[in-house]
Amino acid sequence: MTTAIIFGLLIALMLTGMPISISLGLTVLTFLFTMTQVPIESVALKLFTGIEKFEIMAIPFFILAGNFLTHGGVARRMIAFATACVGHLHGGLGISGVLACALFAAVSGSSPATVVAIGSILLPAMIAQGFPKRFGAGVITTSGALGILIPPSIVMVMYAVATNTSVGQLFIAGVVPGIVLATMLGFVTWYLAWRNGYPRLPRAPFKEVLRTFRESAWGLLLIIIVIGGIYGGFFTPTEAAAMSAVYAFVVSVFIYKDLTLKQVPKVLLDSAALSAMLLYIITNAVLFSFLMTSENIPQAMANWMIEQNLSVIFFLLAVNALLLLAGNVMEPSSITLIMAPLIFPIAIKLGINPVHLGILMTVNMEVGMCHPPVGLNLYVASGITHMGITELTVAVWPWLLTMLVFLVIVTYWPPLSLWLPRVLGMM
Amino acid sequence: MVLKFLDHLEEWLITFLMGAATLLIFVAVIHRYLSGMAIPGVQDFLLTLNLSWAQELCIYMFIWMAKIGAAYGVRTGIHVGVDVLINVLSDQWRKRFIIFGLLAGAVFTGIVGTFGVRFIWELYHTEQVSADLELPMWLVYMGLPIGSYLMCFRFLQVCYQFIKTGHFPRPDHGKVEGIETETDPIAAAIEADDQIRMGGKS
Repeated sequence: MTTAIIFGLLIALMLTGMPISISLGLTVLTFLFTMTQVPIESVALKLFTGIEKFEIMAIPFFILAGNFLTHGGVARRMIAFATACVGHLHGGLGISGVLACALFAAVSGSSPATVVAIGSILLPAMIAQGFPKRFGAGVITTSGALGILIPPSIVMVMYAVATNTSVGQLFIAGVVPGIVLATMLGFVTWYLAWRNGYPRLPRAPFKEVLRTFRESAWGLLLIIIVIGGIYGGFFTPTEAAAMSAVYAFVVSVFIYKDLTLKQVPKVLLDSAALSAMLLYIITNAVLFSFLMTSENIPQAMANWMIEQNLSVIFFLLAVNALLLLAGNVMEPSSITLIMAPLIFPIAIKLGINPVHLGILMTVNMEVGMCHPPVGLNLYVASGITHMGITELTVAVWPWLLTMLVFLVIVTYWPPLSLWLPRVLGMM
Repeated sequence: MVLKFLDHLEEWLITFLMGAATLLIFVAVIHRYLSGMAIPGVQDFLLTLNLSWAQELCIYMFIWMAKIGAAYGVRTGIHVGVDVLINVLSDQWRKRFIIFGLLAGAVFTGIVGTFGVRFIWELYHTEQVSADLELPMWLVYMGLPIGSYLMCFRFLQVCYQFIKTGHFPRPDHGKVEGIETETDPIAAAIEADDQIRMGGKS
C-alpha cells in the first residue's frame, strides 16, 4: 500500500512536467509530513551528506573533460583517422561514423555529446557524398549511444553510486560489450550500404592512415590515461576523471589550439551547470531511496519476488521491459538512480552479478536514448539534421533492432561483460 | 542592477569552483607521484607539503558548486522533466501545469532551505569540524540553505516572467552548447566536402 502511494505520487508529480529532481524531493517530503515517523532531522542530514562521496565527484570531472574534447577539435581528428582506416569499405563514411563514435565514446562519458561531436561534422560530409540523409542520421544517432557503454561513462558512475558497486570494475566490464556492439552496428551499416550500393572512398594510402593516427593520437591517449590509470591502480576513477579533464584542456588549448583560452570559462560554466543538474538529481534520488529503504520497500519486493519462485530468465526479462518502458519518458541518469536501488536487492538474491546488472542497465539506457518520445540522441540528431522526430524514428530502426538483439545477448550471456574484469583479476 | 550582479556572481562562483576543484585534484595526484621520486632537494620540499585534505576540499567545493549551480540551472532551464503529457494538452492547461511545476519547485526549495537554516543553527552551537581541514561544519554546510533559497528565488522569478511574457527557459534537447549546428545543411555539406581537412568548426 505504502509502495503504491509513494510511486503513484511520484509518477503523478513527474507527469506535470516539473523537474524530476523536484518531484522526487516533493514525494519524500509529502510522505514524511503525513505518513511516517522518520525524524525530519535524519532527512535534513541526508540532504547534506547525500552526495558527500568522492566517487560521485567523477561526474563533474568527466563532463568537463568531455566538453573540452567536444570543443577542442578531437572529434574532427578522430573522424579523419576512422575514415582513413575503414573509408574504403562499403558505406565508407557510415562505417567511419561508427568507428569515430566508438573512439570518441572512449574519451567522453555521454551519448548526446558523442552524437553532436561526430554528427555535426560527419553528417554534412555524408550528404555531400550522396548518402541518403536517413542513412546517415540513423548511423550516427545509434552509434552515439556507445558513449555511455564504452568507458568512461556517466551512467555507470550513477549506477555505482546507487548500488555501491566498483566504478573501476564497471568501466572494465563495459569494454568488451562496447566493442561487440560497435562491430554489430558497423556490420549492419556495411550490409545496408552494400545492398543499396552506397558510395565508398578510395583506399587511403598507409601513409595517410599513419598521419591521421599521429594527429588523433593526443586524443586517443586519453583512453590509456583513464582505463590504464584505473586498471593499473595509479588513480581512483575520480582522480582519473580529473586528470583527463586537465589533459583534455591542455590538448584542446595548447596542442590542437582549436579552443582559445578565452572560451575556457564558458566551457567551465556549461560543465558546472550540467554537473549541478545531475548532482541535484542525485541528492534527491538519495533522499528518495533513503525513504524507500526506511519503509523496507526494496526488501519487501525482493522477498515477494523470491516467494513467487521467479526464474532468473523471467526476472531479467521483466527488468528489461521495465527499463525500456521507463526509457520512454525519462533520461538515463534519473532512471538509473531511481530503479537501481529497487532492482539491485532482488537481483542479488537471485544470484545475478552486480557488475553484469550494471552493464545490462547501461545497454537498456542506450536503447532508450535512441527511440521516441524522449530519446535524447534523437533530439540532438534532429537538431543537427533538421529532420523531424518521426522521420528519424524510421531512420534508426535497422540499428535499433540490432541494439535490441545485442541487449538480449548481454542480458542472457553474462560472460560477455564479466570475462574481461575476471581475466584481469579485478573481481 | 542588484539582480544583474547576482546573476554574474552565480556564474563566476560556479565557474571558479569547477576550475579550481579540477586543478586541486590534479595537483594532489601529481604531488603524490612526484614526492615518491627521489629527486634531491625537490623531494624533501614536496614531503613537507601535506595535501591529504585535497579530496575533502574537492567534495565541499563541488557541493557548493552543485547547490549554486542548481539555482543557475533554474534560470537557464537545465533541469529536465517529463513533458510528454503536458505537451499534448491545450495551451491553457499546459500553462497551468507549468506554473504549478514552477511553484512546486519554489515550495520544495523553500522548505529545504528552512530545514537547512535550522540544521545550521544547531550545528553552530556544536564544536563539529570536518575530518581533514578542520573547518567548522556549519560553514561547510552553509551552501545548502544559501543554494536552496537562491533556487527558490529563481523559481519564483521564472514563474513571474512566465506569467508576464509566456516564455520560460527550458532544456533544449536539440542543441548542445558549443557546437553550433548548421542552419543551412546544403551549404554546410559543400563546405565539408573537403574530406581530409573535414571543414573545421562552422
